[in-house]
Amino acid sequence: MLFSLASGALTALALVQQIDTTVPAQQGQRLVVDGYAGEIDVKTWGRNAVRVEADPSSRSSVEVVSSGVSITVRTEGRRGPPSSVDLVITVPVWMGLDLSGVYTDVSVVGVRAPITVETVQGEVDVTGGEGLVSLRSVQGHVHLKGAKGRIDVHSVNEDVRVSDASGEIVAETVNGEIVLERVDATSLDAGTVNGDVGYDGPVRSGGRYTLSSHNGDVTLAVAENASAAVSVSTFNGEFESAFPVTLRETRKGKRFSFVLGAGGAQVSLESFQGTVSLVRPGQLRRSSEDDHDRDRDHDRDRDHDRDHDGNDDPNR
Amino acid sequence: MTDQWTDRLSEYLDDELAPEERAAIEGHLRHCVACGAVLADLKRIVIRAQGLEDRLPARDLWPAIAARIGASPPTTGRGDVVGLDAPRRRRRWSFSLPELAAAGIALMALSGGAAWLLHPVTPTVVAARGPVAEPSVTPGLTPALAPSGSFRIGLTPSRRAAGLSYDAAVADLEGVLTAGRGRLDSTTVRVIERNLATIDSAIAQAQRAVAADSANAYLNSHLAETMRRKLELLRQAAALVTSVS
Repeated sequence: MLFSLASGALTALALVQQIDTTVPAQQGQRLVVDGYAGEIDVKTWGRNAVRVEADPSSRSSVEVVSSGVSITVRTEGRRGPPSSVDLVITVPVWMGLDLSGVYTDVSVVGVRAPITVETVQGEVDVTGGEGLVSLRSVQGHVHLKGAKGRIDVHSVNEDVRVSDASGEIVAETVNGEIVLERVDATSLDAGTVNGDVGYDGPVRSGGRYTLSSHNGDVTLAVAENASAAVSVSTFNGEFESAFPVTLRETRKGKRFSFVLGAGGAQVSLESFQGTVSLVRPGQLRRSSEDDHDRDRDHDRDRDHDRDHDGNDDPNR
Repeated sequence: MTDQWTDRLSEYLDDELAPEERAAIEGHLRHCVACGAVLADLKRIVIRAQGLEDRLPARDLWPAIAARIGASPPTTGRGDVVGLDAPRRRRRWSFSLPELAAAGIALMALSGGAAWLLHPVTPTVVAARGPVAEPSVTPGLTPALAPSGSFRIGLTPSRRAAGLSYDAAVADLEGVLTAGRGRLDSTTVRVIERNLATIDSAIAQAQRAVAADSANAYLNSHLAETMRRKLELLRQAAALVTSVS
């Protein structure tokens, strides 16, 4: 019995191969990661080099290839799809990233360069990013913090959150809420079908800001010195404001507009059947308890799916 | 804002207004948020439309049309197709407000189709395309994946054409998804179906609202935007299918 236990442990050790490799990086090179299942965890350091750490099982391998324009990290299965592989990758702060996977959670911290992330079933958490920052997940939240530039954040079945960021922003999901806090958007297009949308940040003169939802509430935090021409549209919803506004014009249906200050920015707030609200900065509604409940429900759904689907990836 | 100005934004964009009307509408635009938004949408559509490639028809349709309407024969004598590079009036891209949403939908369907063509995969199953007056039905699809109904509100020719383009693009993508759903894991399929159903429900609600108030610019643009979301999600799903092929 003791022998067989020891023998099993040795076999398990033999099935896992530790990878820890470092390759030099040159300015202009991008990191391309093509994962399948597991985690991609990217952090930064002060060296012009890329370090890749992983512990793939014997069913998978990790390939690291450096070319003139990129350093590519790819997980591959020896027979069929690769099993779950967690990658920890350390890069220079200037290095642009293209990260993709299927059943993959992605985390990035500290990169000051363009970032592209695409996953199907996985969470995306990025802190940093400059230039084009494009993050997408089908079934997983997309959270971005501290980015600057052109920001494009999409989910399908989860929430999208952007904080402490600036630039042109497009945020979209279908079944989830969109929250933008401490964000300085020069333009904003945020829309969901089934969820709330909220923006707390300055509205810039000449900027165009569109917040829309079909089933959810739309909330804009407006500073007292804001300068914006605001149009509000709803079909079956309501409008409320934490401060008085003077309606400039009303149209047939529930549509009206008003001007704050000199009207420098163009703001459109639209909810088909939710409430459109104006609040003061710092008062953006955060229904944390609801979020917790929903996360728990999603987790339960996913666990239930995994328990009952013969077709699901066995590695998850 | 008055409907009078909304309906004349297209003429304003085409520089077809008298100087005094032009001055008046510019004064109005300085204060009217809604008209400014409509004008911005019009400009965007015109820019995208101008970017479309001109294509000659495969054959000259004029002789048959002339015969049917009793017009005189073509002056070129041979009935040749006239090249698009021939001298002609500047193309005018003019839309009335109700046509704006339809034009947007047609363009997004075109761009959606163009993007789809970039994918090097030939769908093995092509969904049936029903006539615009009937909901198209895709065999083998679950209700959530089946089209929720064509874009049939407001039966102007432009809307009908836009509906056809949109339905065709949706049907193509649904066909790809149907053919490839076995390659996606069931959780992903379920999530996509659930979200398509959410969008379909929103589209149906928006369609009913537009039917009740067809001149409402918000409802028209909301409907178009929601339909765009469906197309976008289908494109994303189809791309997933191809990526695991």
